[in-house]
Amino acid sequence: MIRISIAERENWQDLAKEVGFQFHTIDGEKYWDESACYRFTLEQIENHIEDPTAELEAMCFQVVDRVVNDESLLEKLAIPPFYWDYVRSSWQNRDKNLYGRMDFSYDGTGPAKLLEYNADTPTSLYESAAFQWVWMEQAMEQGLIPPDCDQYNSIHEQLISAFSNMGVKGTLHMAACQGSLEDEGTVMYMEECATQAHVQTHFIHMEEIGIDAEGRLTDLQDNVITDLFKLYPWEWMMRDEFGEAMPKSGVRFIEPAWKSILSNKGILPLLWDMFEGHPNLLPAYFMEDAHKLSGAYAKKPIYSREGAGVSIHDDGKTLEEVKGPYGEEGHIVQALHPLPTFEGNHTVIGSWLVASQPCGLGIREDVSAITKDTSRFVPHVIRD
Amino acid sequence: MKRSKSLKLALMGATILTMTACDNPDEVAAIFEDVDECAKYEGQDLDQCRQGWEEAKQEHIRTAPKYTSVADCQADFGEGQCEQAPQQTTSGGSVFMPMMMGYMMGSMLSGGGRSNVATQPLYRSADDPKTFRTGDNQKVSSKTGVQKVPSTVTSRPTTKTSTVRRGGFGTTAARTTSSTRSYGG
Repeated sequence: MIRISIAERENWQDLAKEVGFQFHTIDGEKYWDESACYRFTLEQIENHIEDPTAELEAMCFQVVDRVVNDESLLEKLAIPPFYWDYVRSSWQNRDKNLYGRMDFSYDGTGPAKLLEYNADTPTSLYESAAFQWVWMEQAMEQGLIPPDCDQYNSIHEQLISAFSNMGVKGTLHMAACQGSLEDEGTVMYMEECATQAHVQTHFIHMEEIGIDAEGRLTDLQDNVITDLFKLYPWEWMMRDEFGEAMPKSGVRFIEPAWKSILSNKGILPLLWDMFEGHPNLLPAYFMEDAHKLSGAYAKKPIYSREGAGVSIHDDGKTLEEVKGPYGEEGHIVQALHPLPTFEGNHTVIGSWLVASQPCGLGIREDVSAITKDTSRFVPHVIRD
Repeated sequence: MKRSKSLKLALMGATILTMTACDNPDEVAAIFEDVDECAKYEGQDLDQCRQGWEEAKQEHIRTAPKYTSVADCQADFGEGQCEQAPQQTTSGGSVFMPMMMGYMMGSMLSGGGRSNVATQPLYRSADDPKTFRTGDNQKVSSKTGVQKVPSTVTSRPTTKTSTVRRGGFGTTAARTTSSTRSYGG
């Protein structure tokens, strides 16, 4: 795993504009960054990223299996009691899941350490699946990188196949919140994948969803929603006004309700509890057991996204902190495994799963030690 | 190779790296006015004709356009072409719907494999009585038999209802975060 500075494609901003990739620059700062790429060996990808991702997913399933049958754990994960049966039955019915992204600290020498699992509403999907793929094809064509590169990235293909296996009979409604260009872009990309899988889609904003007298969810044309992909976290849906209508609404949600367990940082201490010493795990505890951890650690709200509310501590001092609105539901602590630095950049590996199968990689870089929503996306290649 | 073999993006109107456009592949569907006509058609099986009819009848009750006045229904579908629906309005009033004039289902003749055609009722409107239409008023065909139809008309018809309230999702997002860049992570 090395970082290589390379020339950018001359026309990439035009291309981005053309394909609707509108959030490549954020507040004047670069988000999509192709002035460099990471190069991996096939062995690094397969042995250090792909296989551990599959193994961790299997371990995560064991955690879910335990949590749904243990009310003290459901409580610890701050899942409201009203939804316990609902979450449990979604797991017992094996409701199909679509995607997720595990974040690893990895420097090329392994083992990769799981930092967290964005199992419900992972972002940077479009950049990883599509724009990164196109970048490599064109960079090879233009001679910016050697012509025999490969990439760990079958996300696009896997998404199409997952959509066609979902068993959506009617229209799949696809929702994002109002006002987020990035989320709408991501959902539009997913609609594209669903369409290629011959699934009929219909976009709606979360805020526009209605409810009828029988408690069914409706779209703006008063159609009953039967299948809903939502780029909106379960823990928020459960606390929204319409939340309590969900169990009886007859809607099949993607992601399914059991993902509310996996997207919770509380799975990190639970994984450690069940698989202590596993090479891809870092020691992690709920706050009440924080004393069991020695040395520097990261403190994370159990509900947190894009690094918000995460802080790094050592020896009683706070070394780094990203302010954020999360934390009222509690925190966990995790032994610090600093992100590797490449030419001054802190690098985090996002390992993608589609329908629980590992299938791709996206890299984010940041000048600070905690990656956050403005961290730059840098493409990668495989070349031995 | 660890990457997608091809990647077709027609994202948001623009098309790059396109293979061949295949937006609206046709589906093979069987369209009949009733079970008798279906059973007489070469290659169709009586049991399947009956089963399709039953399914379409169920869908008819669920998804036929509904009216609270028979006159409004007849204005759209023609004199004597409407019937009373089993549903009632919340205040106990009658509900009307057009009669089912035919049905569409996947065809065994389409060459094996799973059919993407959802079994469903078909209607004829007053202003265009020659054409079969779906419950959501999309033109299907003007003839019966096994034939190709656009894939846009073969999905399961949606259920119409009345929304009593909107805006019950999204409030936690508004309360929790000031950033509007993304609600994912």
